[in-house]
Amino acid sequence: MSWKRVCSANDVAANSLKQFDVDGVPVLIANLGDEFRAYPPLCPHMEERLEESGICEGGLLTCSKHLWQWEMRTGEMRGEAEKPLLLYELKQENDDVLVNIEKELEYEYEEDSEEDDDGFWD
Amino acid sequence: MPARNHKQWMADPNLPQGEWVDSRIYSDPEIYEEELEKIFKKTWIPVCHESELSEPYDFRTTTIAHEPIVITRGPDNTVRAFLNVCPHRGMMIERRPSGSFLEGQPSGNPKRMTCMFHAWQFDMKGNCVYISREKEGYQDRICKEDTGLRRLRCEVAMGGFVWVCLDDKPESSLEEWAGKPFECIRESIDAEPLEVFHYHKAIINTNYKLWHDTNSEFYHDFMHYHNRVTGFNDEYFARKNIGFEHGHVNVTSFEVNYDEYEGFESREELSFPKFPPNQWFMIDLFPGMNFNLRGSALRCDIMTPLGPNKVMIEFRGLGVKSDSAKDRQTRIDHHNSIWGPFGRNLHEDLIGVTGQGATMKNSTEPRRILHGRHEDNYIHDEIGLRHYYDEWGKWMNRLPSDPMQEYKAPAVAAE
Repeated sequence: MSWKRVCSANDVAANSLKQFDVDGVPVLIANLGDEFRAYPPLCPHMEERLEESGICEGGLLTCSKHLWQWEMRTGEMRGEAEKPLLLYELKQENDDVLVNIEKELEYEYEEDSEEDDDGFWD
Repeated sequence: MPARNHKQWMADPNLPQGEWVDSRIYSDPEIYEEELEKIFKKTWIPVCHESELSEPYDFRTTTIAHEPIVITRGPDNTVRAFLNVCPHRGMMIERRPSGSFLEGQPSGNPKRMTCMFHAWQFDMKGNCVYISREKEGYQDRICKEDTGLRRLRCEVAMGGFVWVCLDDKPESSLEEWAGKPFECIRESIDAEPLEVFHYHKAIINTNYKLWHDTNSEFYHDFMHYHNRVTGFNDEYFARKNIGFEHGHVNVTSFEVNYDEYEGFESREELSFPKFPPNQWFMIDLFPGMNFNLRGSALRCDIMTPLGPNKVMIEFRGLGVKSDSAKDRQTRIDHHNSIWGPFGRNLHEDLIGVTGQGATMKNSTEPRRILHGRHEDNYIHDEIGLRHYYDEWGKWMNRLPSDPMQEYKAPAVAAE
């Protein structure tokens, strides 16, 4: 277990997202109004920075690029989403927001095709 | 010679066919469009230098013959060219002149070319990798495998320039097309990776061939004060214009006396790899590119015709990628003091070709432009122009001296 302080509760406005660097690990903190959540910073679809592309409303997080959506509290898929959001364990101690980072959470993305195209014109 | 009346003025000059051209080849809109179709869509065109897209996911955009093109460097370091056109509804995919796909854009995603219209995405190999709401709209009738980009022939060669040919089956390989005229400087420009240190472009009201004509003859050194004072000597007049297959020409070198120009010094302390100092070679490629190696700096002009009487010329100055800061600065100084904003040669050339552009517009009376100087191919011989227009005539199947007639060989064969 490795609990790390990320920020103060008032660093992130209600219904918004903010990305922090925690000893080299990028963490996205969401303020739902009454609670906080912590996610990896990128959309599981196409590596978008959710801090920029994400919209928080009514407990739903929407990536504005291709309208993937998730329940902010649980990371469950809604709408167009095809992969759930991953969450870091989070707790609040007074004004401090802490997350438990065992290791950096990352999604697997579709890699560029490895197919050799040297013979394209042959 | 007395002044001439209309009939005398319009009469053919007393020179064999092939030694003058009709000015309509510089002004007729129909001929211009036909040149794009028959020449620019069929031949190898250099579009930029590989150092201008040095990192994976870097790109540049350009056009050849109205066709928008995007050049990318893949994560595998291969440089590829595609039509910059979305296969969905024909939208131009990338609108920036250059940049990187590594970072996402407001309507694009990292590592992808994204068409902002409907969010279709393509990787650096031109594969379609994303169609928004694919199954909902196309079920399985059309899928990503059917909607890749249109790839174009693209090679990096001759000092690291990026060459594109819009014809899938070009008449010649790039090597066969341009290898021979480049032989005189190939060892120097291919010894080490090069790097662009200067770029500017000019849009000029003239026909692209008039700029190329000026690059292809040195008789106009009477306009270049710098060339006269640093050059006019026996060695200068001993240089030859050499014609190559496919309409290319180069000019043999001589030792330039830079110290004869006020404020200049000899440039012998810095040259290109394997290149004797103060030497100067020039290569003119059909249909309109120029490579100019003056000892320490390489200049390249690439022309993009924009209309019968409008051309964009991109000027690049190049040094060696591994240059020390001091050598690089010396190369920049050498380049800019002749060809850059603090030199006079480019400006003088521009005065020449815009003056021609002003007299050769679509509605102006056609006239004869003389290309008939013979000096045993020495430097003030207009062989370069005759050689070019013979090639032009073949690609166009038009006679340069009477473009409404079909091509025939010049009365005196070009050497």
